[in-house]
Amino acid sequence: MALHTPAPIRIRLFAALREQAGWAERDWPFNDHIPPHPQAAPPTPRDLWETLQLPGALGDVRVAINHQFAEADTALQAGDELAFLPPISGG
Amino acid sequence: MDRVAQLQINLHPAAFEPLTLLSRWQHNGAAESQFIGRVRPTASDGAALLALELEHYPGMTEQQLENLAAGCCRRHGAISCLVHHRIGRVLPGEAIVLVAIGADRRGPAQRCCQELLEALKHDAPFWKRECRTDGISHWLTGNTPL
Repeated sequence: MALHTPAPIRIRLFAALREQAGWAERDWPFNDHIPPHPQAAPPTPRDLWETLQLPGALGDVRVAINHQFAEADTALQAGDELAFLPPISGG
Repeated sequence: MDRVAQLQINLHPAAFEPLTLLSRWQHNGAAESQFIGRVRPTASDGAALLALELEHYPGMTEQQLENLAAGCCRRHGAISCLVHHRIGRVLPGEAIVLVAIGADRRGPAQRCCQELLEALKHDAPFWKRECRTDGISHWLTGNTPL
């Protein structure tokens, strides 16, 4: 019987943050253990920001989950699209 | 019951002519307020500007523009809303944004237009990179003062 593998979290970076980090998007396996959480706890954007050692301070960017602004401590779900958005300058 | 505003929102990868788009816009309000923003010929530090490069977040930008427009129109009782916004490489003098609001009276039309413009500048995921004529480029981290 095939084991069910949760869909990964798609992580996306934009503009200056993308250039500083050197990548635009990557998938994070949903069931990967992220310290200090126990295996069962879902990761948060803050966990992934710190684990991936993204440049700068998380407080300087905005977080979006599935195209909606979200808090950095929101529990992520399998298949979510997580984006870190540097300061916006539209119009 | 609140009236639901008619929204038209478009992103343009190539230059658009705002006055042509306005002439084609159909709305029923007695009052109309419009804003056209164009790219300056100078960068934020005063150097000559070659172009602005406008990045966006496909999917979220359109959704967020629609959310912002619907919210502003609801708060001000506006009847209709037109938003055109550039993406990609925009040259000095070209239009980067057009916002137009139709309403029953001038007050709601003007207030809604201003609020929506400020909202999209701060809460719609767009990023500008200034490309100077001397070859230097950098990402902007904020907006010009009101």
